[in-house]
Amino acid sequence: MESNDIVYLLPLLVVMIGAITMMLLSTFSSVSIKKGAYYSLMFLFVALISNLYNLNSSSEIYSSYPYIGIFKKMIIVDTYSGYFSSILLFGAILTLLIGLQYLEKHKEFTVEFFSLFLFSVLGMMLLVHVNELITGFIALEIASLSMYVMIGFQKVLDKRVEASYRYLVLGSLAGIFFLLGTSFIYAVTQTTTIGEIGEFAQNYVGTDMPLLIIGGTMILITFLFKIAAFPFQNWVLDVYDGAPLPVTAFMAATFKIAIFGFVLRLVLVDFDSIRDFWDDMLFVITIATLAYGSFLAIIQTSIKRMLVASSIVHTGYLLIAFISIGIIGESAASSIIFYLVAYFLSAIGAFGIVSFISSDERLRITYDDFKGFAHVYPYRAAMLSIFMLSLAGIPSTIGFIGKFYIFTAAIEAGYTILAVIGIIATFISVYYYFKLIAIMYFYPSPKIVEDVPFSGVGSITIGLITILIVWGGIGNTLISYFPGVDFLIDMARLSYESLFIR
Amino acid sequence: MADSLLSYISLAMILFSIGLLGVISRKNIFIVYMSIELMLNAVNLIFISLGRYYESMEPQVISILIIAVAAAEAAVFLSLIVVLYRRKRSLDSDIFNILSQKSAS
Repeated sequence: MESNDIVYLLPLLVVMIGAITMMLLSTFSSVSIKKGAYYSLMFLFVALISNLYNLNSSSEIYSSYPYIGIFKKMIIVDTYSGYFSSILLFGAILTLLIGLQYLEKHKEFTVEFFSLFLFSVLGMMLLVHVNELITGFIALEIASLSMYVMIGFQKVLDKRVEASYRYLVLGSLAGIFFLLGTSFIYAVTQTTTIGEIGEFAQNYVGTDMPLLIIGGTMILITFLFKIAAFPFQNWVLDVYDGAPLPVTAFMAATFKIAIFGFVLRLVLVDFDSIRDFWDDMLFVITIATLAYGSFLAIIQTSIKRMLVASSIVHTGYLLIAFISIGIIGESAASSIIFYLVAYFLSAIGAFGIVSFISSDERLRITYDDFKGFAHVYPYRAAMLSIFMLSLAGIPSTIGFIGKFYIFTAAIEAGYTILAVIGIIATFISVYYYFKLIAIMYFYPSPKIVEDVPFSGVGSITIGLITILIVWGGIGNTLISYFPGVDFLIDMARLSYESLFIR
Repeated sequence: MADSLLSYISLAMILFSIGLLGVISRKNIFIVYMSIELMLNAVNLIFISLGRYYESMEPQVISILIIAVAAAEAAVFLSLIVVLYRRKRSLDSDIFNILSQKSAS
């Protein structure tokens, strides 16, 4: 077993070594941004390959505590964490490939940026491997602290520094609530290990456990804050708007996956027997998130702010499935995981293409700036339209399949009202997503410009994401012998099962 | 023993509330930072008193880990305060309002 442990931990180790190497390399002036990006991409690829090897080499689901003599049960490696960290690494690679042009264009970025980037990837991967609350806090802080610095990296711009300050104050406040909840849970159970808290809750089910419930609520507050659900959504518009576009894409898509990865494990394993307590609260929060997010998205005039506000609505969809976990664990949990993948692909594509456009000479910010965009850049407009279709959940895109699983799970669990409200929110979302498509296609361009050739690593990556989105939407219906997206949902089911082998 | 645990946790919760009030109501960003540290240390106090109560070493290790994370946070926070002060020549958080207005890019 001893030889396997190092293989299991290899993805984490490679990313950590990569982060430290990038920190050391940043002192050499010969390392340009481009070289730095390629070095960090290399580390991420090695980590991804070793991660996929772990996931693939054991065809059965697996679950093990690496170096149990040293780490006790702090870190767990199972199919669940392997699946999540593959998504996270894939997201990090896509973010870097797309963001490279933006990073090169803006002179303030240096090679240290990649070190911070890899550290935050490390924090996120650790977050899904975590099996203990304090380790979870440390992983959360590794990811968040690097994120704060990455947001404020261009310190010559007031906007960036201000966004960084806001996120720092509110993020550390949320982190402290997490710690307070942990201390309450420790006071009752005398343990912070995830499985053992679950056993305690199971043994005392039926009796009053006020401290455990208050502690769980505090942790849930941190979770709702980090995913920007209703009462805690105010920071997200300002912070995401103030951040550089690649970092916004990274936060909106990848960080959310990591947080969900951690909280799903916590809720499914630990709070399984006391989860009913939060159902009513989450019910109200979900409806409020959907309603307020839709309202915010409608009134925005800037494309970036609209995308950010609509990410609040997507949080609402995820929360619908999150409530349904109580009744039908397996299909709800796997629908959350699948929707996270679907949203992450569409969002990273949309933010990526906007960052791409705004790194050109002419800045395009508001809806009006996109008038006649399709006549100038037909390919980019087509791709942006596909991302919008996928975000709105139109059939033949992966976003539709994701929403289909979520609403099916909600109806199966008996939350028909929530499914109906979710579908209404989808109808509303058609307004603000299709407004962009309409403006791109149905208005004349202010002036005819030569079609700029669509080249470079970033554009190829965005094209690849577009193909993935369409393939995810039609892969399993049209071409029967072709591998469709079914493997994603099957994998999600397997990883759900791996949570419960002890 | 139980009485003293109660008083320690009460003290910690009072400190925590003072910190929370400070974050919410104060305008000076330095005092906001100090309030956040106060809240972190209130949580530390809870852990340490629990460790004494259960006669276990685990919470004390946890509080040392929390101190380490707090130090990392202090590094980011203080450097950010320096950057903000250099740009604005003021520590009043009211002047940081570019984002809430209509902003570009």
